[in-house]
Amino acid sequence: MSENTDTSPSDSISVSPLTDDPESSDSPDEVAMATARARLYGLLAAAFDGETETIATAFERGTFAAVADLFPIAIETTALRGDDYDADSLAIGYDNLFVVPGSHYVPPFASAHATDPGEEFESDSRYHTAGEAGELLGDPAADMAQLYDVAAFSPERGDDIPDHIAAYFEFMRALCEREAALLGDGESKETLDAVRELQSLTLSQLGWIDRFEEAVASHDTVEGVFAAITRLARTFTAWDTEIVTQTDPQPSETTHS
Amino acid sequence: MSSKDTDDRAEISRRDFVKAVGGIGLVAAGSNAAIELDVDDLWTDDEHHYVGDEYGEYDASDVIHTTCGQCNTFCPVKVQLADGSGTGEYSSLVRKLAGNPYSFLNTQPFSQVPYGSDPEDVAMGDVEGSGDVDKDRWSLSGGRICLKGQAGIQTAFDSYRVRQPMKRVGPRGSGEWKTVSWEQAVEDIIQGDDDLGHPGLADLWGYAPEEAVMSDWDAVQSGEMARAEFDEKYADDLIDTDHPDLGPKSNQIVDVGGFRRNFIRNRLWHQGLGSINSIHHAGTCGFSSVMGNVRSHDAPKKRQYPDIENCEYLIVWGTNPMVANKGPTWLAPKLTNAIEDGLRMDVVDPRLSKTGEKADTWVPVEPGADGALALGMARWIIENDRHDLDYLQNPSQSAANDDDEPTWSDANHLVLVDEPAGPKARASDLGLVSEDAATAEDFAVIDAATGEVRPASEVETAVLDGDVTVDGVTVQTVWHQYRERVFEHTVEEYAEMAGVPADQIAEIADEFTSHGKRAAIMAYRGPAKHTNGFYNTRAIATLQHLIGNYDWKGGQITPDAGYDTMSGRYELGSVPDGHSPWGIPLLRGGVNYEDTSLFDRDDGYPAKRPWFPVAPPQATQELYGSATDEYPYGVEALFIRPYSNNHVMAVAGGDEIPAILQDTDTIPLIVASDTVIGETSQYADYILPEPTYLERWENFGTYPNKRLADEKISQPAVSVVPNARPFEDVLIELWSELDFPGVGEDAIPDANGDLWPLEQAEDFYLKLAANIAYDRDPVEDASEDELRVFRESHENGLGEQFDLARWQAAVTDQEWAKVVTILNRGGRFEEPTAGYDEAFAEQGHDYDYAERGEDSNAYDGEHMRYKLESRVDFYSEVVPNGKHSFTGERFDPLPKVDDIEHYDGTVQAAVTESGEQERPLRLINWKPRTQGMHRTQNSPWLRETRPENPVWINTRDAEDRGIENGDEIAIDAGRETVDAVAMVTGGIRPGVVGAMWGWGRTGDGATAETIDGETRPSVEADGHSSYQFDEPMVEEAGYAKGRDAGFAINHIQPLDEQLGDTGLSDLVGGSNAQYDAFVDVERR
Repeated sequence: MSENTDTSPSDSISVSPLTDDPESSDSPDEVAMATARARLYGLLAAAFDGETETIATAFERGTFAAVADLFPIAIETTALRGDDYDADSLAIGYDNLFVVPGSHYVPPFASAHATDPGEEFESDSRYHTAGEAGELLGDPAADMAQLYDVAAFSPERGDDIPDHIAAYFEFMRALCEREAALLGDGESKETLDAVRELQSLTLSQLGWIDRFEEAVASHDTVEGVFAAITRLARTFTAWDTEIVTQTDPQPSETTHS
Repeated sequence: MSSKDTDDRAEISRRDFVKAVGGIGLVAAGSNAAIELDVDDLWTDDEHHYVGDEYGEYDASDVIHTTCGQCNTFCPVKVQLADGSGTGEYSSLVRKLAGNPYSFLNTQPFSQVPYGSDPEDVAMGDVEGSGDVDKDRWSLSGGRICLKGQAGIQTAFDSYRVRQPMKRVGPRGSGEWKTVSWEQAVEDIIQGDDDLGHPGLADLWGYAPEEAVMSDWDAVQSGEMARAEFDEKYADDLIDTDHPDLGPKSNQIVDVGGFRRNFIRNRLWHQGLGSINSIHHAGTCGFSSVMGNVRSHDAPKKRQYPDIENCEYLIVWGTNPMVANKGPTWLAPKLTNAIEDGLRMDVVDPRLSKTGEKADTWVPVEPGADGALALGMARWIIENDRHDLDYLQNPSQSAANDDDEPTWSDANHLVLVDEPAGPKARASDLGLVSEDAATAEDFAVIDAATGEVRPASEVETAVLDGDVTVDGVTVQTVWHQYRERVFEHTVEEYAEMAGVPADQIAEIADEFTSHGKRAAIMAYRGPAKHTNGFYNTRAIATLQHLIGNYDWKGGQITPDAGYDTMSGRYELGSVPDGHSPWGIPLLRGGVNYEDTSLFDRDDGYPAKRPWFPVAPPQATQELYGSATDEYPYGVEALFIRPYSNNHVMAVAGGDEIPAILQDTDTIPLIVASDTVIGETSQYADYILPEPTYLERWENFGTYPNKRLADEKISQPAVSVVPNARPFEDVLIELWSELDFPGVGEDAIPDANGDLWPLEQAEDFYLKLAANIAYDRDPVEDASEDELRVFRESHENGLGEQFDLARWQAAVTDQEWAKVVTILNRGGRFEEPTAGYDEAFAEQGHDYDYAERGEDSNAYDGEHMRYKLESRVDFYSEVVPNGKHSFTGERFDPLPKVDDIEHYDGTVQAAVTESGEQERPLRLINWKPRTQGMHRTQNSPWLRETRPENPVWINTRDAEDRGIENGDEIAIDAGRETVDAVAMVTGGIRPGVVGAMWGWGRTGDGATAETIDGETRPSVEADGHSSYQFDEPMVEEAGYAKGRDAGFAINHIQPLDEQLGDTGLSDLVGGSNAQYDAFVDVERR
């Protein structure tokens, strides 16, 4: 085969393995696993970025419920089933829960990553209340920005400024997708290890998700759609952390212990 | 795999997970379009790259305090050296640049660390009271610095630095160079070079003292000396024996450089070489503003600044202190805090600047019509009796002091109206006292108590508006004339001229006169850089005479306070057996055309080129055309330091300069001392590598926009180009070879009259530091620890370039410990109160000691401690001594409304009446927020923040032309058409367009350079951020474009119709007009 006729996508990351069906054998290989994780992260990214058409479609197909059922922890899946919600009603729900009115926005790597607020911390920021909330654009934000930078990742999802939580899940999706591509290509182990280490580091930044889930649950009390999605996200990421830890290689010359 | 299939804790299988997720693919497939993940660039070694959470401790031995040179604010800065990094050709890398915490300038809005603080404690942020970086808003381990200052690292480490002396290959401007040794360069410059065909200084130089020449010339006139004898005697020394008043041949060796004036201009050029022509940047800068202020005050006052902390109403007029005007790092926080505390600030500017954005009211005046606006305000103030009558009726200092006024005005002084130049009458002129009386030189005034005309010092209250005859001599008060001038137009007429509604003029005038002494004006280049700039500035300055706000807390301030630099321990300005420069300056400043021998030669008026009889000879813009015309004489050798005087970019019409420089007949020898191959230096015969400001000595002054005394000193902090030599050192070598005075052995006298050598720059600057150290109460000696820190930090920064023994030998052993105290702090900074160190430890840095301290060094009761304490002038006696060199008409002693005119009187822009323009849009320009000068365009950090200079155009004008924000447009300026990008905004006056200067470069890496046969290409683009910059007003970082990005605003300025080789000039103030172009724009 000459070079000119080689149209294999294997060398290109522009062709996503997500367009193919995943492996469906009884013992999925690592490619299928990474691809599946990428898909769920992609769906969560879409959900938290307000892509309500996507959420509505997922409901129709029962996708959320099917995943939620897997986990032994109780997730109220009623809200995740059926076709009671169209995209418009979900959009209203999303806006009410997540959209900040006015001209200010939350940068794609910022507030959700705030760690426990320091009681002593004083700040001029109007977005910061000592003892109640973490620092906007503080160290946690810098940590996330650095992770994005290391991977040359640009949070550019959607038509507008990408939501910070959506950006996080989108980053994980891209990392998992990259992992799948690397496994399929059989490329260098060093690069694969580096991608998995990035996943591990990224998941280690999830200290906020428990409080985030509580906050969404306390506000989304009537319909509960986003509360359920958030609970799913929390459960899935906890599970995935275990997965990544298991696949994370032993310390070597090229990774941290 | 199977062993990992089941998670013990979650108990779900991977297979189930993959299956359950199977349906998602199509659902979420649309979400991945914008993702880039390129792990090819991923670091895979064991370092966390970009993750800056590990840092080495540094201490005072990694810190050198010096002065920033990225813009002309010259902030005191702290250079943090990267310990142990001197592994390249450079002696050390710079980790970071910050503000100097010892300085009250760069610690705003806080108070500086006490001067006695241990440098070790300061470096570590451990001074008691200086805050804790972990807990407080601010820690004073580092002071404030702007983005331009931080980018200074990229100036020092620019890969396009000139690294060796270079000699041109081929014609001037060929872009091709070969490196030569210093020895070769020096020899060629002195002896000339046959290859390039240029003469040397040894041939060109000639000098004879003025007294001897003019004495002989008088003898020739009286027939006591034969003309042939005179000619023969002075043929080698004078420029022209037919016109001895042109001076010696040394005048044809011309220096162009911005700074180091005390050393290079006063010492080496004037007294060493005996040339009168050492030129700085004034003509391209706010020269007319400076002169407008100088002529409005009897004591030195060049600039207008308010006491911001206590001012209640401030008019910022044609300047942008949030960004420029000597102190954004301190003026910006001062202003915003004052606004927060209740200051009302109005901004007069045709465009909504960063300062305008903070204003209560933005007044978009018609460019160049500022004088009309000021005189309109004056009319309203006088008509409504809002001027301070008590102040204006004080005829002298004693009367003023009785009123608790530190200053007084000339308003009630009498003018001899029938005399040609209309001088003010002295008591003896009117026969009030005899000529030898103590009060003979008193101004004559009319005593309000008696109606008698009397010497000013004998009168308590004088008549303001008087028009009387004394023994047949008609005299009028200055106020009478000023009032008549102001009343030549109605407020409505002034409003029409200024393009500002009459109601608004009244409102501003009302507000200005509603705060007693706590109102002030800060004005600078906006009103001044027109051909009528001098009169505009006069009109604005005299508004403050009306309320007499000088030296008052909250009013107009003039604290030029510093410490002695040039005298004290060493007389640094004194050159034993030095030459006295004389003759007509090349730029024809300070001399009336008709008082020279050229007047007869050239048949009187008009003179061939403009003269500037009442301004110093610094109308820079005239230099190159004068060389071409050999008017008043030719330039034989030109030495340029274009790092701060890049005239090709800085002069309006600077695009005409290259052709002049390329002609070796016009200027036979051109030597540039430059850090890079710039737009001007690229036409030199030689470019000598110059250290950047982080690598050399300097002593920059601070403008009087402060409350306390300070003196900054720059010292070498690193050495990046080992073979670079400060121009002082080069000149010392040249002068020594030529046996000129002022250098070498026995060059600098100390206070005892003993003579010290001057062999290198530090011989001068370390003595200057000693002068600073011993002024007033001498500073403390540096302790042993401090001396160690000094040695270690300079060894770290300068490596082998640091010779401690040599530095120490420049002063006495006794002085050395005090000199180190000065150098360890980057200068001397007055503390706000006595006992400051204890108060600071107790109260901390977040406290305004100058304001609240009972023994404040800033205030003296309700007055400033550092005062102007002089007469202020509505009427200048000096100005009418000057005559316009085209018409012979006298200049006006009073402020006035004037049109903007070419040298021959052709109106460029009418102010007094509306004029039609072929191209309807007035083009203005301003200093960029993100660039210090053209010279900082080399920095990719800065170019990322603002990659080009879009043209601001009002929405209305844009709509008329179908232009939208971000459109590519063509600017038609008549003689030139250039491309640009439109920025459509309501923030500029309709009919006015404008852009930042600093763009459109062709030097310093903007175009390819060939050295020793190797060509390095131009910089295409740089940067590391993936965000896009594509729209003006979208404040996102972008990729830095090439160094040639944008367009050069000065290259579309109109040329003077009479001269044709440079832009228009203000003949009274000396400035180059730079806001008077008319253009049209159209969408590309």
